[in-house]
Amino acid sequence: MNDFSELEAELKKLRPRPASPDLAARIEIGLAQEAAGRGTATAGVLPKPRRFRPNWIALGLGLAAAATFLVLARLNVDRPSKSAGLALLTPAPITPAAKEVDSLVPSAMTQVVYSTRDEGLHFAEGADQPMRRLRSRKQETMQWKNPQTGASLRVSYPTEEVTLVPVSGQ
Amino acid sequence: MEDVVTHEEDWKVCFAELGPGLVLFARQFVRQLPDAEDIVQEAFVKFWRKQHSIENRGLLYATVRSVALDLLRRDSRRARREAAASAEMEQTTEPQFDFDDGAQRELAAAIDLLPVEQREVLVMKIWNELTFAEIGEALEISQNTAASRYRYALASLKKNFVVHE
Repeated sequence: MNDFSELEAELKKLRPRPASPDLAARIEIGLAQEAAGRGTATAGVLPKPRRFRPNWIALGLGLAAAATFLVLARLNVDRPSKSAGLALLTPAPITPAAKEVDSLVPSAMTQVVYSTRDEGLHFAEGADQPMRRLRSRKQETMQWKNPQTGASLRVSYPTEEVTLVPVSGQ
Repeated sequence: MEDVVTHEEDWKVCFAELGPGLVLFARQFVRQLPDAEDIVQEAFVKFWRKQHSIENRGLLYATVRSVALDLLRRDSRRARREAAASAEMEQTTEPQFDFDDGAQRELAAAIDLLPVEQREVLVMKIWNELTFAEIGEALEISQNTAASRYRYALASLKKNFVVHE
């Protein structure tokens, strides 16, 4: 190795060019981004800041699904689907005198008649003319809503109603 | 140099000391200074992020070398351009050293003529003061091989360059 000592001394006199001042700044940015957990620097270019890029297809599908849900939900409230036994739908008006349940306010009432059966003529006790007896089966649903919190309560129950209709002989 | 540097500002001290040698080492793979600085930037951030001891200089230079080779693999056109530039010794490339006289310019030109395997050992040994063990670790070769390449490099330089008294 002694043969090269003179040459080694000459080589050490050569001074490498200093790094450009902005290299330290770029490393500082890279380290800061690493510390913030925002990814790694890549050779050639500092990592670009992440930009929000909406996925328009997913967004469109999502909006379509939401719109469909709202339409169907509204249809279910306004127009209950017809079933085989459905005979009549009688929405009942909300009366101002309806009793409040705590802070819940009556908001809707529906009455669905599933079947009406004519049971023929009957003579009621003490009556002097026949009466037609109609038997109706219904499903009544009452709904209360708290306007402040949006909470709602719904009660649904079956009912059966017998109606006697006077029959005239004319 | 401190053993393990943890303070976030301490990297500046390390980089001020090691930066020029790292850039010189990176330039053995890419001839253009901006490319070499990009490599050093990525390698230094990668090395520092993993909180390696700065004393582990073999690993630091291995990281620089790995990033440089990855860059060349990613961009085959760049690799061809670098190979062509290296072969033709294009005059437009920014010099790697600051020269005091014509003799130093001749010496730098002679270094450029060395094969890359010898140049990278020479750069790590002379301007970065790595031991042959550290050079071997960085290049994944034995320290005997590193020492051998170093001797071949000096022998080639001595043949092509006359030391001026």
